[in-house]
Amino acid sequence: MRGLAGIPREALEDLLFQCLQGKLLEERLRRSDTPQVLSGATREIDLRGIAIARAMRRTRDGKGDLCFPGPLAPGPALAFGATPLEYLRHAARTRTSPASARSGGDSWTDLRRGILGWSGRPGMMTQVVAGAALAFARRDADRAALAFESFPALDSGGWHEGMSLAAAQRAPVLVVLAGRDDGDRRSTTGSIARAYGIREIRAPANDLASLFRVASRARRRMAAEGGPALMKLGLLSAGRRGALLPQLRKQLLSEGLLLPSEIDAIARTASAGVSQALSRILREGAPEPEDALVAVRMDSAPLHPWTRMRSPSPEGSRVPSKEPGAVHVH
Amino acid sequence: MSTDLPPQVGRTRAGEPATFLEAVAEALWEEMERDDRVFLMGEDIGAYGGAFKVTRGFLDRFGPSRVIDTPISEGGFTGAAAGAAHMGLRPVVEMQFMDFISPAYDVLTNYIATSLYRGSGPLPLVVRGPAGGGNRGGPFHSQNVEMAFFHTPGLKIVYPSTPSDAKGLLKSAIRDDDPVLFEEHKGLYRAPFCRETLPAADRVVPIGKARVALEGEDLTIVSYGLMVHRCLEAAEALARDRIRVEVIDLRTLLPLDEEAIAASVRKTGKLLIVHEDTRTGGIAGEIAIRMNERAFEWLDGPILRVTAIDSPVPFSGELEDYFLPTAADVATAGRYLFRY
Repeated sequence: MRGLAGIPREALEDLLFQCLQGKLLEERLRRSDTPQVLSGATREIDLRGIAIARAMRRTRDGKGDLCFPGPLAPGPALAFGATPLEYLRHAARTRTSPASARSGGDSWTDLRRGILGWSGRPGMMTQVVAGAALAFARRDADRAALAFESFPALDSGGWHEGMSLAAAQRAPVLVVLAGRDDGDRRSTTGSIARAYGIREIRAPANDLASLFRVASRARRRMAAEGGPALMKLGLLSAGRRGALLPQLRKQLLSEGLLLPSEIDAIARTASAGVSQALSRILREGAPEPEDALVAVRMDSAPLHPWTRMRSPSPEGSRVPSKEPGAVHVH
Repeated sequence: MSTDLPPQVGRTRAGEPATFLEAVAEALWEEMERDDRVFLMGEDIGAYGGAFKVTRGFLDRFGPSRVIDTPISEGGFTGAAAGAAHMGLRPVVEMQFMDFISPAYDVLTNYIATSLYRGSGPLPLVVRGPAGGGNRGGPFHSQNVEMAFFHTPGLKIVYPSTPSDAKGLLKSAIRDDDPVLFEEHKGLYRAPFCRETLPAADRVVPIGKARVALEGEDLTIVSYGLMVHRCLEAAEALARDRIRVEVIDLRTLLPLDEEAIAASVRKTGKLLIVHEDTRTGGIAGEIAIRMNERAFEWLDGPILRVTAIDSPVPFSGELEDYFLPTAADVATAGRYLFRY
């Protein structure tokens, strides 16, 4: 099946909006007048990550699918319902950011929407996502997990431990290997999938609608039958990356699913959201130093450095006394 | 699925005394019966019943979706437990020996312990397993791992010394919303001196609360795990010298019940800390500085410690016996401190 066949019109409209939003955000972040506060933000949003993530079942109550955006962040997070403003807040480490400026990387966790974020060693999150998928399998829910990993993850023991467990437990997780495959390895995605006894999903590299359809089918099959699947998203040249969105637009027009005026309206909506987010982020401040002090456990209270308190003493509230038993409380 | 109780979880229902191991097994069984979100993961815990048979019969009763035999991949299945906890389950991970927790250090300290602080929500999971020496297990099957994790904000560490505490604290750990490391000294598992008739009721022991194992006036000894019993032996010997020892069983190392220690120090003025873990970087150092901060004015002598020596756990029995602290060591230190 090729082109847009089999994809509902609403899903295509939605896919177009998501991809336009991602593309516009990328373009704005690449401009030379990007505010300094966003210097750490990504300069590349791979629309293929959005197309795959948008194929999953999303909710806002924490009962839908789960997505680890990994190296393709923030695209898949946006596809899972995060807003451009949330991403900009996270990138700028504002006090209002989803992780309250206490976590790095390009992704953060929002379990209500099904977003699992992390910035750490490649491969570790395949373990965590496999466990989430294991929970889905255990409860027989119509849920599946999606994890994007970079190819270096293949060289980590953690990735293989996660895949091994997911395969053995038939956990419904689609693992997408993305980016530059420059490791010194002879295995292919297909041979790895065969070694784990799992499905390999062949991705059409340069067709957003087909990617969406393939991922939708993989998701349905995982949720129904269980078991993980593996997909490879190789690097695209800048030219081919740039052609993805025009191609989707062309398909929509040529198949008569949307009028040019309708596409323009979707683009204006996406643009307005991105512009609003960019103007708003400039008005949001950095965290206060004491925002570092939050509970590290559910039942713990954060401790101030005692030397910075009004009445320095190791106890914070006690004046040292030479007389045993004499405790003075402020 | 079988409705018969495996022998290691039937003692309390039969009104019989339970060993430490049986108390652990009962806690797991009862929590799995109480809450279907609780499930077990670990190496050989299903068909084989676990290296120490803690989970014998669990697979028959609860099935393979709740008693999961994992590949040999401590990092992988601990990470997977985190994912399952994110999705609302309550995983209990068994380390076949606590020594094997080291491959999971990355995910425990970098991911699990930081989750709440990073805004990723609480991660309610338990990592439990046999720890400690004295069983001729050598350097790879005898370690105490608590201090490798003690300085990691976000974790809790529990190390009980009695069957009733093991059962009550493990139940608390499973119900807790934070990640908990739960160490079980294998020298207590089947120890004849460590049998108790456990309450049939659903009794939980709060995490973070020490207990006074023995009241005394002259000297405070703080310990945990198997060493509590060595300290009680030493206290008996010291009592013959008319030295009245107070023994504090920490039960939980993180969060540390420093108020319980300080209260005892205010009473006795002398503090001896005993742990089976090695000396450098052991919890004795942390307790000493905290009492220096909190109870300096009440101390009538130096804070002392009795610990294992700073070396890997040796394999030979003669060497291991010399390596481990003994009741005689504790009594010697106690006499010295009493006379100070």
